[in-house]
Amino acid sequence: MNLDIRELIYIILALPLVFSAISAVNFLGKNVLHWLNRLVATGVGAAIVMLLMTFDANIPFAGQYIYLDALSMWMLMIIGTLYFAFAWTSKAYLDRDTNKRYGYLRRFGYLEGRFYALSHIFVWIMMLVVLVNNLGLMWVTIEATTLVSALLVAFKFTRTSLEATWKYVMVCTVGICLALLGTIIVYYIQLSAMGSDNPLNWLYMVEHSKNIDPVMAKFAFCFLFVGYGTKIGLAPMHAWLPDAHSEAPALTSGLLSGSLCICAIYVLIRNIVILMPSIGIDFISGLCLFFGIFTIAVAVPFVVVQRDIKRMLAYSSMENFGLMVAGLGLFVPIAAQAMLLHMFNHALVKYSLFYTAGTIMEEYGTKNMMRIHGMMVQVPRTACFLLLSIVAILGMPPFGVFFSKFYMIYGFFTAEHPWLGVITLILLAGMLIGILYHILRMMGGQSKKKSSGELFGVIDSLTIAGLLIFSGIASAGLSEITVLNRLLEAAAKIVLGGVA
Amino acid sequence: MDYLVVFLVLVVFLQTRVTDLKRAVICLASQSVIIAIACFVIGFSHGNDIHAIMPGVLTLIVKVIFIPGAVYRLVNKLKNEREIVSASNVNYSTMAAALFLVMGYALVERLMPGSVGRDIVAASILMIMTGLSLMVLRKRAIIQICGLITLENGIYLLGLLMTEGLPLVVELGVFLDVLIAVVVLVILTSRMRLSFMTTDTSVMKKLKG
Repeated sequence: MNLDIRELIYIILALPLVFSAISAVNFLGKNVLHWLNRLVATGVGAAIVMLLMTFDANIPFAGQYIYLDALSMWMLMIIGTLYFAFAWTSKAYLDRDTNKRYGYLRRFGYLEGRFYALSHIFVWIMMLVVLVNNLGLMWVTIEATTLVSALLVAFKFTRTSLEATWKYVMVCTVGICLALLGTIIVYYIQLSAMGSDNPLNWLYMVEHSKNIDPVMAKFAFCFLFVGYGTKIGLAPMHAWLPDAHSEAPALTSGLLSGSLCICAIYVLIRNIVILMPSIGIDFISGLCLFFGIFTIAVAVPFVVVQRDIKRMLAYSSMENFGLMVAGLGLFVPIAAQAMLLHMFNHALVKYSLFYTAGTIMEEYGTKNMMRIHGMMVQVPRTACFLLLSIVAILGMPPFGVFFSKFYMIYGFFTAEHPWLGVITLILLAGMLIGILYHILRMMGGQSKKKSSGELFGVIDSLTIAGLLIFSGIASAGLSEITVLNRLLEAAAKIVLGGVA
Repeated sequence: MDYLVVFLVLVVFLQTRVTDLKRAVICLASQSVIIAIACFVIGFSHGNDIHAIMPGVLTLIVKVIFIPGAVYRLVNKLKNEREIVSASNVNYSTMAAALFLVMGYALVERLMPGSVGRDIVAASILMIMTGLSLMVLRKRAIIQICGLITLENGIYLLGLLMTEGLPLVVELGVFLDVLIAVVVLVILTSRMRLSFMTTDTSVMKKLKG
């Protein structure tokens, strides 16, 4: 089979859509549905791998509405990996959730089809975000992800999930509306600087970005930063993030944390690349660094006093997004590469963490970490995965996050912000102490609450282990894996403004 | 155009005064009618092709007929529910709107003195800020939805003035998004009525920290 890039992209975009239509109609038996779900995601994953092999990182592909360069390929790879993991863990999760004895969805077994339809549409829209070539369409798709994922967050329609969703939709829609204002200003800039050809086309605007009016550009950037920053979950606008992440079904939390927020970072990067030549690096860099580190600083105390395990993970996500935005603000090659690598590692590890947290919630029937003890004895496999993923997300050596965090800190020192590097290190240490304290308490001791036994199956254990190992191998051996290495270097070049 | 701005400011102020949900929805619809007329006026002053008519027609269909219709149907179902209404918030939001109007004009004078669309820019700043204040100060879910649409209308008006609307594909996408947003919010509100017996969002305060 020799498929060219266009055909592969069509396959990637067609399969999830077809599947979600099928599962929304809900006439298939449950087993067929589960297997079809796995088949579709594996097919998309295979198509992405083939795309990765045929795609030359330095030659972008441009269609009428589609644009694929190294940066979008990198994002597509992250989303594709999570999609694959989602499909191979979803059966185990849904079986537990619809379990007659204790599952949340026990009375609503028929909702599985709807869950699959929404999740696949959600992933499909995220793929669109990274594939469209137009800043306006990027805005449209980002807003669409909010709306689709809102239905997923509220999927169980409990009181708390309704509250979380209401907050999520309200806060994010207002933020995204501000980003629309920013996009309109960017369009205005384009009209006044380069005429009305190719409206809002990213590539065209980058090629002509020299003669942009700096005052208007700064104005636009402020709105875009606040708008997409809300969606990323940067500190003063983060109110929705812990609620939505903690109340959503575990699989959705994983997708939200792993891929949705970095899609918002991706769109912000696309806008920054256009506006950077006229605004100048200092202004953008200052804002990104300040809000990035501020986000980490806000997240640390909340982690320490947290009782809800998924909320704790949500705050840990905030810390990582803060780190990514700060890395973006450094504007040195090593930090840009580290940021992209961190997106990848964080997505994989955080997905496995949320999945494990969801399993623990089913095993102990509570989210409260103070009431969970003795996991090592009662549920050894879950405990093992939880400990491994936590150690991974905190940035301990054998796992992928260690490399990306290390390069990032190294970036702080090469970019001549040594003090910010020191502050970040201290904050990260605080994070580590806070999270390890809670997790180690859960591991040992005598449990007052009996668990309902080990719920980790074979397929999901293999998937989660695969995620952890893949992230570790990909980051440790990056210089040996030529495809990934070239892709990462080209993507980092685009982030820094050099378009291939 | 001047008359339109006057009517628009009037309707926005009315929006801050209304506590009855049905009237709030009607207010929202009339506000969108004015926006649609503004779309037609600006569109026809620039040509007669499809891009001149499209935004106005879309605004009429989506924001005048569909969205208020959907919200109105929801309001009809909310007959006997627990009411938690405070009059002071109404006065605060009107006062805030007055402040925003002054602020809008002051901002326009400072940024672009003597420009053509001065009144429209001020009106759209008023709409954006009033929409925000409705969402923050008011507690009823329906009023918050109205605030969100007001905010969106304000941004849309500003865009209309600055760039005569976005490119056609993007414009379609934006309308689609607003449509889906309202559908999602209506679903959420009706679910909220089922589980909390009220659509007052101040009962939802469980998630903290």
